[in-house]
Amino acid sequence: MSAAMSSNHQKTGMNLSVFALEIILLIIIGFLSFFARGFATWDNFLNILRNASTTGIIAFGMTFVIIAGEIDLSVGSAIAFHGCLLAVVTEKLIGRGYPMLPVILLAIAVCFTIAILTGMFTGWVRHRFSVPTFITTLAWMAALRGGGYLLTNSFPTTPFPEWFNFFGSGYVFGIPFQAIIFLLLFGITWFISRFTTFGRAVYAIGGNAESARLSGINVLQKRMIIMALTSAFSVISAIVVASQIQAGNPTVGTSWEFTVISACVIGGVSLMGGKGRIWGTFVGVMFLEIILNGMTLLNIDEYWQYVARAVLILGAVMIYQGQETRQKD
Amino acid sequence: MEENKQELFHSRKRIATIRVIRGFKCCFANQPCSLENIHPMDSVKLEVRNLTKAYPGTVALSDFSAVLQGGKVYALLGKNGSGKSTLVKCISGAVLPTSGEILLNDRKVQFRSPMDAFAAGIAIVYQELSLVLDFTVAENILIGRYLKKGPGMSIIDWKGTNEKAAEILATLRIDIPVTEKVAKLSVGQRQMIEIAKAMSYNPAVLILDEPTSALAQHEVESLFRVIHRSREQGIIVIFITHKLNEIRGVADYVTVIRDGRFVGTIPIAEAIPKTLVEMMFGDTQILTRPDNLPVADEVVLEVQGLTREPRFREVSFSLRKGEILGIAGMLGSGRSELLRSIFGADPVDSGEIKLKGVSIRHPHIPFMKKLGMAMTPENRKEEGLIQMLSIKDNLCYASLDRLASWGVLTHKAQEPVVRRWIKELHIKIASPNHPVSSLSGGNQQKIVVGNWLNTEPSIIFFDEPSRGIDVQAKQQIFQIMWELSRKGLSVIFVSTELEELLEVCHRILIMENGRILRETIPENTSLDELYALCMEA
Repeated sequence: MSAAMSSNHQKTGMNLSVFALEIILLIIIGFLSFFARGFATWDNFLNILRNASTTGIIAFGMTFVIIAGEIDLSVGSAIAFHGCLLAVVTEKLIGRGYPMLPVILLAIAVCFTIAILTGMFTGWVRHRFSVPTFITTLAWMAALRGGGYLLTNSFPTTPFPEWFNFFGSGYVFGIPFQAIIFLLLFGITWFISRFTTFGRAVYAIGGNAESARLSGINVLQKRMIIMALTSAFSVISAIVVASQIQAGNPTVGTSWEFTVISACVIGGVSLMGGKGRIWGTFVGVMFLEIILNGMTLLNIDEYWQYVARAVLILGAVMIYQGQETRQKD
Repeated sequence: MEENKQELFHSRKRIATIRVIRGFKCCFANQPCSLENIHPMDSVKLEVRNLTKAYPGTVALSDFSAVLQGGKVYALLGKNGSGKSTLVKCISGAVLPTSGEILLNDRKVQFRSPMDAFAAGIAIVYQELSLVLDFTVAENILIGRYLKKGPGMSIIDWKGTNEKAAEILATLRIDIPVTEKVAKLSVGQRQMIEIAKAMSYNPAVLILDEPTSALAQHEVESLFRVIHRSREQGIIVIFITHKLNEIRGVADYVTVIRDGRFVGTIPIAEAIPKTLVEMMFGDTQILTRPDNLPVADEVVLEVQGLTREPRFREVSFSLRKGEILGIAGMLGSGRSELLRSIFGADPVDSGEIKLKGVSIRHPHIPFMKKLGMAMTPENRKEEGLIQMLSIKDNLCYASLDRLASWGVLTHKAQEPVVRRWIKELHIKIASPNHPVSSLSGGNQQKIVVGNWLNTEPSIIFFDEPSRGIDVQAKQQIFQIMWELSRKGLSVIFVSTELEELLEVCHRILIMENGRILRETIPENTSLDELYALCMEA
């Protein structure tokens, strides 16, 4: 269908197949608004945004990682680990009688520091020893998951006060707080990817790391920043999740890395590096969430979402590859 | 069942054959043994008649005729772009000639693909080796043709395979253990394995495409011994090269090609450098640079005792303001490696670089860039450009920090510089947003230059800027260099094309085996002389 559209519009110099994903999403939204009771409501819209934000926040970081030609498999485990770390540090310090607010702020700072250090380490090992990030982050995936269990003795730890629930369940001007963070990070990462030297350098490195190096771009520094950025975004997501369940739980975030990577891929970020847009990732995240939400409203067994995701990933990449082949012709 | 029996029969026959011909020649049963493959000593004859290959716009090979006899090594000599590789591609089936014919043993042959030519007994060993590094020598030589055993001949007989490979190596008297991993061998030894692999197919013609370009001197000698052994088996060996000084050690005849035409075949005894240079170049018109390019006295770059083993050692020179300095030397002489090390792309063992009064022992690209140094790399496609990005991005990515303020880079800031270089460098494009991969080689080269000029350098290295671009684009690149010199920039220009260096430079350094041996100025040097200096240094 998108092919037919593109050929119609080629004459006018506009190629609609570039917007294939957006068009398909709009059609699905139209369909669901019509057939799924309760889909086209403001509350449901906020609900979708809220559910999309935990994986979506990380997906923006992941977009840079994949554009740079790398991958980060550790984000799901990182959510569990940092949630647990947050809870355990808080619990220990509260136990010694320190006041709540500074303790939680300190715990958050500890999480960010550790996350940034692990990310920088991954980038450094990638650059210095040519260890693929697939391997290093696979190792982190195991280590952080294990770390979460070790920290909490495999029981959810619940030291958080009532107000901490705000990060995961609070509203500002009627909009879920986490959705605001999600949209804010969307704006920031979109700006970084398009209008900063850092953003352009990421594309250059992913397109051809050797050319980038020979042009005087500090590739090591960029790789470390990119990996640290995703880790830091995982901490933001970890805080939101911990706040939602009011606990540090080592079992959360299982297989989220696949949801995150799927969203990027559906949004047109190329695993070969050098290609992708933050907007595409945003659409990819929304796409996955809307499908899930629509299926729930239509009373379809939720496990069908995995099948739908499979179709989406494959279909999207086929469309993108088709576009490239046409461009080459 | 029937098939199994037959295979069994074949393999027995094969083993028998090996026993019979032990020490002389190998022929394998699972190898198509066509008539052409069987040739007694000295009877092989390869003839090309009026071979022509025209491409849109150029004629790469024009009416080429020659006769080659078995049991001889022919050096095929010609400068870059003379049609050497087109001729070889026609003979080996990689390209289809526009007209003319090829005769092997007086029978007309027509190759539609390299497989065709290979089946007819024409084997070629390319510069880029085709060995699997993690396989053993035996596996590589007999890849796809392992000896088999067991039920249905389904199990590889490693012992037999190794023995067979050892036979092949023994025939050529190559002393490398067959169970050694190829990854552990030197480049020269790998070349020998390639030759052994080609010879194991029992070819009539063996073509070697610049096999020595990456080899050290002692490796070259042992490679030549292997080539001589191959010749003793009665085949024709074609040895492509542009190194005059090597020909004497390996060839029986020298065949010279110029501008796609056959110039002549002379016996090695008559092949003195002067004759060969004359044959290769004919009456080449050497253009000269404009004379309004003054060189100031101020030294902007001084290199002292720079060494990077084994690429180059004890290199010292200085570069003055406004000067265009050429570095002449053959492939593997270390000229590109020298530029890369000065620029910080590769490490330096010892020595010192003085740039703008700063003394540098370990250059680092971002730092050298800050000091006003720029380099357009030798390998434009893989090192100079980012193919999947747009023309605009490719014009800006070396100068991101300069174009941005506080790390923020707007389209507004990029637009004027993009427009400026497209205009000043005469880059022909439809839109700066198109991918850079859609451009011709010449325009791509100009993008690389523009990307660096954006950094406002004071010294710029051009590493083989004219490779693979058309004559007009070449002239435009030279114009750019002259224009830079006029503005007081200093240029170092590395090229394999010696006439280009004579045309463009103020001064030329001659590099050989990692050392700068002498320097010369174009006004006092003819092309023959420069060529002889490079070859015989």
